[in-house]
Amino acid sequence: MSFLGGARSSTSAGGLNNDKIEMAITELDTITDFFNRMVSSCHAKCVGTRYAEGDLNKGEMVCIDRCVAKYNEVQKKVGEKIQSRGAAGNASG
Amino acid sequence: MDFSGFNSAEQAHMNKVIEKKQMQDFLRLYANIVEKCFSTCCNDFTSKALSSKEDQCVMNCTEKFLKHSERVGSRFAELNAGA
Repeated sequence: MSFLGGARSSTSAGGLNNDKIEMAITELDTITDFFNRMVSSCHAKCVGTRYAEGDLNKGEMVCIDRCVAKYNEVQKKVGEKIQSRGAAGNASG
Repeated sequence: MDFSGFNSAEQAHMNKVIEKKQMQDFLRLYANIVEKCFSTCCNDFTSKALSSKEDQCVMNCTEKFLKHSERVGSRFAELNAGA
């Protein structure tokens, strides 16, 4: 994300490097958002809606483990694909 | 997320930011659970009060979602620690 920071290094009087802080906050937000979406998706896919009891059964637990692993894989692959398309676009454009 | 390059003023600032975000995240989780459990459990509007069946359903739903969220959190942390 080099277009975001530019060449300025804005340092306030209190010794805070604002660019670094903003990047850290953006990263934190991204990861939190990713986690929340993963919780939501895996709940929809793995946890039944009968709610006969308050505990997760064995099948649901196994499903959740696999769901998290798959979600993570998908995130990686999509990221790679987007980056490779972007690089190819830059090369040919 | 590598916070080692931060000086102590920045670290303190980040801690405050993280605390605020955790609070917001908790409130978001709460609202989500309410909506999810309400839509699956409460389908009988012949009465204003929650029936005991609906009440039990909501309790189970909440507990299940929290356990699910915990489990996803552990798996996610494992993945990130390994990466």
